[in-house]
Amino acid sequence: MQEEILGFIQTCINCRMCVPMCPTYEGWATQSAFGRLAAINLHLKYGLGTEEELSRLLFQCATCRRCQERCKMLSTNVTPTDIIIKTRQLLARKALARERKGS
Amino acid sequence: MSKSLKNVVPVPHIYIRENVLHKGNIAGVAGDKTAWAKDLNLPRQAEHTFFAGCGYQFMRYVEGMMRAAASIEKVGLGREKGLGISRAFGKIGIDLPSISAKVAAAGREDTYTRILGGAVSILLKLDFDVGYLYEDEPCCGSPLYYSGFLDDYIENANKNFSIFKSHGIRKLIGLIPACTASLRDYYPKYVEGYDLEVYHFIEVVAQRLKETDIKPKLKENVTVAYHDPCQLSRYLEITSAPREVLERIEGLELREPEPEQCKQWSTCCGGGGLEAGAPELCERLGLRRLEELLNTGAHVIATHCPACVMQLKRSAEKLKADVKVMDLVELLDEALP
Repeated sequence: MQEEILGFIQTCINCRMCVPMCPTYEGWATQSAFGRLAAINLHLKYGLGTEEELSRLLFQCATCRRCQERCKMLSTNVTPTDIIIKTRQLLARKALARERKGS
Repeated sequence: MSKSLKNVVPVPHIYIRENVLHKGNIAGVAGDKTAWAKDLNLPRQAEHTFFAGCGYQFMRYVEGMMRAAASIEKVGLGREKGLGISRAFGKIGIDLPSISAKVAAAGREDTYTRILGGAVSILLKLDFDVGYLYEDEPCCGSPLYYSGFLDDYIENANKNFSIFKSHGIRKLIGLIPACTASLRDYYPKYVEGYDLEVYHFIEVVAQRLKETDIKPKLKENVTVAYHDPCQLSRYLEITSAPREVLERIEGLELREPEPEQCKQWSTCCGGGGLEAGAPELCERLGLRRLEELLNTGAHVIATHCPACVMQLKRSAEKLKADVKVMDLVELLDEALP
């Protein structure tokens, strides 16, 4: 799952067209698909930030797919919303596995 | 609940997961959810099966719960603790969500389940052979998918498919965009041999209206701004059908927000997904979207998703705007002869 997520992020050309599209954008890059994808990449690849911090960013996404529509228009075939949801699933799966192990 | 899971998934989402898995609906309410359909006497087997979904059936409970949570927040307990209290009450047999919903809904009719009745009456008026599973209808589980509980979602999907199969269902008509997207686009990925045909309500209604010469007519003229729900416009990619339906209604003037704010570019109102995890952000999004819609000068805002209806209604209350938020179904049901 992690490999799949990182592979998808590599297809992003960092054009930042999704930033003004995001309804949650209020001035911080992490309030847009571009920033969230960068945060996922940095955390999964280089361990930057904690899972808790990453999850907080991801759950501020409304999963409205407006950014994804923009990507579709630019035909880069990135699916930012799906990647964000997939990463939520990855984090939850890891936590549930830890829980099972602990009990 | 372990700390590890709490760290990566907001607590309200974890409660919703427990509700879906153990109670079979998003609000965790035990009791008769099909009261709205009792007098309709729909068959269980028919050409099309109506899928009502959790949204409209439980929205008044969710609304009541959120109001209760917000009032607890004002006292200084925090929304998380508020929801925790309602859960603790549930454990000892007191159904706090339904009590708070009753308090919140006292003196006014339940507008959300009326929409379900309206949708079925539209289908019957247009001569659809439509059935309904009543209490056997499962929860599609889409909140599990978006909250990150993929394994639970897949298990739930497979269970649901065998329920649909055991009732001999082939064609589903979904009303709630999120449920329909889940049944149409995600189930085939995770369920082997999934062969149900899934349509959204507005698709089939627009198609049938085109084929017939029925002229829906409203008693008095209204100006309507249509808000595209994200799940309908971008997940299901249905943007023209609701407009065709609205434009067909006599006495209704359709007004659109700016081109970059409608159809597939419609701004998200923040209802649904954000509500549980980031309530303040959710509120700001709602107000921003409402302002865009108010700029059209319309007196009625029509949309077609329970979360959007709830969110825009609340935003209108907060802004004290002179606007009526309705579901498209209510307008069409009133206009159809």
